[in-house]
Amino acid sequence: MTLLSALIFFLAAQRGQPPVPRTAQAAAPVDLTGYWVSVVSEDWRHRMATPRKGDYESLPLSAEGRRAADAWGLEKDNAAGLQCKAFGIGGIMRQPGRLHIAWQDDNTLKVDFDAGTQTRLLSFDKSKQPPSDKTWQGFSVAEWEGPNIGGLGGLGRGARGAEPDNSRQIEPGGGGRGLRGGPAPPGSINQGGSLKVVTTRFREGYLRKNGVPYSEDTSITEYFHRLPKHPNGDEWLLVVTVIEDPKHLTQPFYTSSQFKLEPNGSKWSPRPCQTAPPPK
Amino acid sequence: MRIIESLLITLLACLPSFAQMNLEGEWAGRYHEDQADRVPGDVQGDFTGVPMNDAARRYAESFDVRRVTLLEHQCQPYSLPHIFRGPMQFRIWSEKDPATQEVVAYKQFLGTYQQFRTIWMDGRPHPPEYAPHTFMGFSTGQWNGDVLTVTTTHIKKEFYRRSGAPSSDLSTVVEHYIRHGNLLSHVMIVNDPVYLSEPYVNSEEFVFMDRGNQNWLYNCEYVNEVPGPKNEVPHFLPGKNPFLKEWSNKFGLPLEAVWGGAETTYPEYMTKLDNSSRTPLNVRKDAPRPPARPAATPDGEIKTFHVQGNVYMLVGAGANVAVQIGDEGIVVVDTGAAPMREKVLTAIRQLSNKEIRWIVNTHADPDHTGGNETMSHAGRTVNGNPAAIIANEHTLAHMSQAGRPATEWPLNTFFEDVRDFHFNGEAIFLHHVPKGHTDGDVFVYFRGSDVLVAGDLFMTTTYPVIDTKNGGGVQGFIDSLNKMLDIAVPGYLQEGGTYVIPGHGRVGDEADIVEYRDMIAIIRDRIQDMIKRGMTLEQVKAAQPSLDYDGRYGDSSAFVEAIYRDLSSKK
Repeated sequence: MTLLSALIFFLAAQRGQPPVPRTAQAAAPVDLTGYWVSVVSEDWRHRMATPRKGDYESLPLSAEGRRAADAWGLEKDNAAGLQCKAFGIGGIMRQPGRLHIAWQDDNTLKVDFDAGTQTRLLSFDKSKQPPSDKTWQGFSVAEWEGPNIGGLGGLGRGARGAEPDNSRQIEPGGGGRGLRGGPAPPGSINQGGSLKVVTTRFREGYLRKNGVPYSEDTSITEYFHRLPKHPNGDEWLLVVTVIEDPKHLTQPFYTSSQFKLEPNGSKWSPRPCQTAPPPK
Repeated sequence: MRIIESLLITLLACLPSFAQMNLEGEWAGRYHEDQADRVPGDVQGDFTGVPMNDAARRYAESFDVRRVTLLEHQCQPYSLPHIFRGPMQFRIWSEKDPATQEVVAYKQFLGTYQQFRTIWMDGRPHPPEYAPHTFMGFSTGQWNGDVLTVTTTHIKKEFYRRSGAPSSDLSTVVEHYIRHGNLLSHVMIVNDPVYLSEPYVNSEEFVFMDRGNQNWLYNCEYVNEVPGPKNEVPHFLPGKNPFLKEWSNKFGLPLEAVWGGAETTYPEYMTKLDNSSRTPLNVRKDAPRPPARPAATPDGEIKTFHVQGNVYMLVGAGANVAVQIGDEGIVVVDTGAAPMREKVLTAIRQLSNKEIRWIVNTHADPDHTGGNETMSHAGRTVNGNPAAIIANEHTLAHMSQAGRPATEWPLNTFFEDVRDFHFNGEAIFLHHVPKGHTDGDVFVYFRGSDVLVAGDLFMTTTYPVIDTKNGGGVQGFIDSLNKMLDIAVPGYLQEGGTYVIPGHGRVGDEADIVEYRDMIAIIRDRIQDMIKRGMTLEQVKAAQPSLDYDGRYGDSSAFVEAIYRDLSSKK
């Protein structure tokens, strides 16, 4: 494959067409834009409702993590103006709500959340410097991943100057069509690529509404996948989140959250950071 | 330059598709979502996040965990939509075509219940709808870039959760396997027209096991640990499950909210939840919808399916026809509807050119006996007469009373409980069961081939038809299924082993028989309870005693009425 890459580069150079750096939007192997609604089929009790204090089921908490979780108080947070601690980078994907993903510019994806009225900027510009102030959503650096990234498929499409043809979509799975092991058809909305996002410079917050903490030393990596179209026409976005917090967790904490594409933003419903009190 | 380009393109086209993400290896689950549900197991009353419908709620409400103590249920594994939600590690490897090195299939070994799976990558079609179902189903896969997408059909009925949220055998599953380094994400989207109102989506994470693990074996030997009435089916009558509120009470959640439903999985539901202490949540009511029974077999075509050993099933003749072939000739069990008789005969002839020696009628219905004359005259006994037609004596009586031509009558009748004979190298048993579908039912057991032919005592397409006018009865129906359960021996972990050809529908096994038996017993008990409470037939029907099965078996009014009249007459 290295030989092939060299050959392609050689051919391009011979034609007097040195590879032109493409924008992140032009290089996107998958279209993540649109309005997406979270479908809460997992951790329902911890996501739809506010669990009671000390309910940290499923979480690999350290003793310090448990101590901090046990010290949580909703009224205390509200009084201190810290209502958004449960809507920060470590917990926002688990909040029931909607995402609106759009390109802010050629190299920045903007992700708005109606839960807590939060915004994240995912920058593909690696030269960009992080801000000095920490925020709830932090500073996110994004890059595309996948079989066509920087390889044959990406160059081939980009060199021809073709825009992704989002009208053609793949149906998943079998059915006797003989599509064994092949890559997604060129021009597919989903060529198997994904978005990797690493976030730093965020304020400490909550993994869950009931004060289960993550610290500012946490490492947060996310993978955004638009899945092949479901046979019933549904379009799904999967966000895999890996959280490593040396202070509050004993091992990497893995979650994957599902979102379904909506036709438009008619159900977009921004609301402030607000956590319902847990049951008595 | 053009030449180099052409060479390059040719080279690319010749590349086999081995550049896919490598999923092979051993993977161990991480349980950072729903740990209490997935590992220790939830208690009854937690159906949160499951987009289940009213039928599923009724099923779950009735579910008594003692049911898994029944011998036939003890070793039942989780089905595919459930098994990835339990504690699990699994191994993936590939099988490649030696000539092309293309992946023909991915194999999986799942440590939970020692389940094997094959995910075919060679483009083969899924089996026909009348093929048996298994707990892991039949899977085909396709790469979409770095995502392996797998579609699975032919899955057995089981549960989505141990708490009793049911899955049906009409469910289909789409999986996506996504690898990032040593992390594997597994997404599962289930469609179930019987018990879900929307697709049920789940995802789980697995980490690569560098050093492997030895915990791969699962030993299950079913034993009678708790003495109790044989063939009892434990369940709770509607509204009588004492455990349903435990979970919601424990976590301070409204009962209606933890009962699942698609509505509860969307953000808007949080508002209702927040207000629920002041405003009672509406009890959901699904819109009526047509039953999700399997599609009918193709009109006008007879399909042949090799069940096992010497036995084949012919599909499309109105009712299923069973054919046993061997050196001594052919045995035909049921002959299909009259309009299909010539095509049935042609299909038999394609299986064997030997003589049809014996014909067995499981009962008198025309869709099972319409080809009697044709098959009989196409065959020959050893002394040169048309092939003998065997049936219980009541079947002959029903056919003659119905005015059927004498040439169709089964004149070789018996009245004893069982008749047996040896043919084509195996023992064949004809079991008469009084008061089932009719009073003349026979089911046939081919002992060497290990295949039961159930007639209309077992169907996968409709509720039982209890023909009370011809001597049928609900208890006899259940007894006949219990008798089949006594004969059938499943393969390891309740799958395969003895196969069962139903009167209508797909091939089943003991696990399918036991589900059918349980269903009849549960509905019978509900109707019995309603009769005790003085309810009229109309009131019973309005109470929907078969709500949890209507999506699977369709209109239950005749079934409910037959049970009601049968039980009422015994008061």
